Amino acid sequence: MNLIHRIQHLPREARDTLFQLAVIAWTIAPHAMHLAPWCLGLSAVILFARARLAISGAPLPSRWTLLAVLVLAVGLTLAGERTLLGKEAGVTMLVVLMALKTLELRARRDAMVVFLLGFFLVLTNFLYSQSPLVALAMIVSVWGLLTALVLAHMPVGVPALATAGRVAARAALLGAPIMLVLFLLFPRIAPLWGLPNDAAGRTGLSGSLTMGGVAELANDDSIALRVRFLDRAPPPEQLYFRGPVLSAFDGRDWTRPRRADPLLPPPELDLLGQALRYEMQLQPSRLALLPMLELTPEVRAQGPAAEDFLFTRRTDLQWATDRPVDSVLQLTARAWTRYRHGPQDATLALRDDVDLPPGFNPRTLTWAAELRRRPDLRDAPPRALVNAVLQHIRERNFVYTMTPGVYESRDSIDEFWLDRQQGFCEHYAAAFVVVMRALDVPARIVTGYQGADRQVVDGWYVVRQSNAHAWTEVWLPGEGWVRVDPTAAVAPDRIRLGISLQPAPGFVAGTLNTVSPELAASLRAFLERMDQRWSQWVLNYSRSRQFDLLREFGIEAPRWEDLAYALVGLMSCIALVGAGWAMWDRYRQDPWQRQQRQVAERLAALGVAVADHHPPRTRAARVRAALGSAGEALAATLEQLDAQRYGRPGRHRPEARWWRQFSEEATNTARALQQKP
Amino acid sequence: MGLRSRIEAWWHHRLALTDTWTLGQRNIYIVPTRGGFTFAALLLLMLLASINYQLNLGYVLAFLLTGAAAVSMHMTHGTLRGLTLRLKPGPPDHAGEPALLDIVITNPGKARYALAVRWRERGRKGQSFVAVDVPAGGQTTATLSMVPAQRGWHTVPSVVVETGFPFGFFRAWTVWRPAARVLAWPRPEHPVPPLPLAQPVAGEQAALQRSAGNELEGVRPWRRGDSLRQVVWKKVARSGELVSRDTAAAGSRELWLDWQATPGADPEPRLSRLAAWVDSAEQAGIAWGLRLPGVELLPDQGDSHRRAALERLATWP
Repeated sequence: MNLIHRIQHLPREARDTLFQLAVIAWTIAPHAMHLAPWCLGLSAVILFARARLAISGAPLPSRWTLLAVLVLAVGLTLAGERTLLGKEAGVTMLVVLMALKTLELRARRDAMVVFLLGFFLVLTNFLYSQSPLVALAMIVSVWGLLTALVLAHMPVGVPALATAGRVAARAALLGAPIMLVLFLLFPRIAPLWGLPNDAAGRTGLSGSLTMGGVAELANDDSIALRVRFLDRAPPPEQLYFRGPVLSAFDGRDWTRPRRADPLLPPPELDLLGQALRYEMQLQPSRLALLPMLELTPEVRAQGPAAEDFLFTRRTDLQWATDRPVDSVLQLTARAWTRYRHGPQDATLALRDDVDLPPGFNPRTLTWAAELRRRPDLRDAPPRALVNAVLQHIRERNFVYTMTPGVYESRDSIDEFWLDRQQGFCEHYAAAFVVVMRALDVPARIVTGYQGADRQVVDGWYVVRQSNAHAWTEVWLPGEGWVRVDPTAAVAPDRIRLGISLQPAPGFVAGTLNTVSPELAASLRAFLERMDQRWSQWVLNYSRSRQFDLLREFGIEAPRWEDLAYALVGLMSCIALVGAGWAMWDRYRQDPWQRQQRQVAERLAALGVAVADHHPPRTRAARVRAALGSAGEALAATLEQLDAQRYGRPGRHRPEARWWRQFSEEATNTARALQQKP
Repeated sequence: MGLRSRIEAWWHHRLALTDTWTLGQRNIYIVPTRGGFTFAALLLLMLLASINYQLNLGYVLAFLLTGAAAVSMHMTHGTLRGLTLRLKPGPPDHAGEPALLDIVITNPGKARYALAVRWRERGRKGQSFVAVDVPAGGQTTATLSMVPAQRGWHTVPSVVVETGFPFGFFRAWTVWRPAARVLAWPRPEHPVPPLPLAQPVAGEQAALQRSAGNELEGVRPWRRGDSLRQVVWKKVARSGELVSRDTAAAGSRELWLDWQATPGADPEPRLSRLAAWVDSAEQAGIAWGLRLPGVELLPDQGDSHRRAALERLATWP
């Protein structure tokens, strides 16, 4: 109570500063999920200190203090990120600068800098998430920043926050048509220069794998792609869609090998048996890859969307695009489920695939060495070693679960393989590869999708993000790279039936499911529909969708120029509307004054001269004086108007009904006057 | 005089002198501010980031702000549009004293915020302005002051009303040359010189003696312009009516403030001395008259008399 009272009676300066700080804190808040703790802590401390200074009215700290804090922040960023460029470091620095700038709000120019930094900070939130929730939070941020900007331009008295908020909302809402036209028609172009590596975000198939990465995808029920087989459908256990192949391991993360190998000869590839012809409809993933069925040697794209994409098959047989897929791609291809690839004989390059980081997971390495010493395996070929390890997974108490908890220790493979033995595909794949390499068998992780929905709609198989999977490839002499899926050893159903990962239901969802399954289902359906609209109109709105839009308006073969023409035309129209409104607004009058003038015109027609400034009461007297009893009714209506305007409670605007009544009386009076003489 | 200021002066003199100034498309000017240009650069940067990171929500943000900025241009213009300015000069004062001028802003429409009213010519002390809001359908007065250096009629300098509301991305302003003029009385001499000697009134001596002993003779009802000194407070306390000493009866001698009595050849110091005499004679509560070459004010007393005298001094010759 006391606090609220104090806040309400703060001096204006302090109130505005607190409001601004609150908006900034709200804008920074979504970054809490991925910023370094020191950055969050520092920003919180600075904002809090600034708020205290605002309330107590103490002077701001000196420039030197700020400079010292800035140097500290730069040092910490360099220590943490090893660079000042790039997304993470950039956002970290931006947040710190924003917080520091609040300590330097001295002049008007400083205020402007805070707002500009604030707007850019809003943008950086979208680098991490473009979900509707984040969008909603950022709308609040933008509104808050605009409100603070309006407040900064209201120097008189103590303007109410609500007034400034209304002005800001008005500007944003009236600007919405401009935003809509620009958003729909501004030509979408490919990135102007090479994207930094971290641009694609950190979804499961981003080309690196950390423990827990695929689990995020399990919560994502959205559709990744649809497949239709033209001849015959393969069994579900053969539906492996190949994504990034990860073979470099630093003890924590699995990544693609750092060395690009453009000089290597194309991989040896033998296709066996009959081809499967299929069509694929790939949803925009914002990843620069095509998850094609294993194994697809050639891909053809259809439709206008594919025109400006360049597809390449990497040496690890994964299909890559030259930029993130941002529109629906229609692809046709042929796949062979039986194939042979990779060198038949051991080569030097394969030595990279038995590399393990020194010093990590010592117990697993010991375990592998002991396995090797088993009498039956001492001189066994690699194939027998693979089978022995799979046998081990099958026989031990390994559990397949989506909620294994977090593997936090440095030797996470040790923890999984020997202690807890609970996990899902990525844990099994990673541990299997480590064990194989410890046994001197070249091995690597393959990520992608596996399986599909059991319901087939019109021949289309639906593959969801929750079908994301990680499996392994092992190199066997004379056979090349062979797919081994250790997950199948612990959870055969996962592979055989293509059942996707099921996340453990949260508390709310679980309760809702038991209380009312129908409600839960319809709620989920509603959310899915909303989500689909969102991704259709916001996230994946691309050049092809722009062309679709133009086609709906009757342009047969839309081109880039048509977009520009439409954009310029519509913007000109909006500008004309604005200019027209300004012209009309100039002649706009107070409604009472307008009515006064109209009344004077009608009275003049009856021969009663009144001046503009005469109130209705005086006009009534004039009418009586000029027309006598004939004007009595008319004078009475005028007196009524006087009461309406000046009486208690006075009306805010003239009443339309009164004007009709007055106009009728005026006509009657005119008629009466005509008959009299 | 640089080319720029010459052009500005030429342009400025094309403006008509008016008493009321209604703001519309023809007399409101609007340009982006430095902050507006910075904001445009930010929008461009946001657009680049959105293109390079393929952020559709980034596009939404950049275009939302573009729309808001475009609307703010209309709002800034609309803050001035439709307003009417009138000038209400305050009472005249001596040269060298600040003369206060009320600029009345009438608003027929919705509430307007953050109008800055200032003279067009910026003073040496930098830009000083008066910030005002105008309520919906109401009036607000902004008071500016000017210091006339010399006596006489002065044209009111041009007034600028400007605003950056709501976001400060644009600055809209209007320049108004008011037709009104301000009168400045001569600067009074300082320190105040002693008043000249009063002279006996010819033919009044007998009349005064006739009425000697009759106390009521010299009293008349209070008139507007009588100074507090003239009020006969004893009588007021007794009767409750406001009465003043009748100056005609009291002033057995009359004081002439005469041009001839001031030394020197330069008219300005002489007028200054006369102005100082007028003020001190008025303070002393004696009836006084003014003689200038070609002008004569008969002896009298009161504020209107003082104003009349000072006005003549201000405009002489």
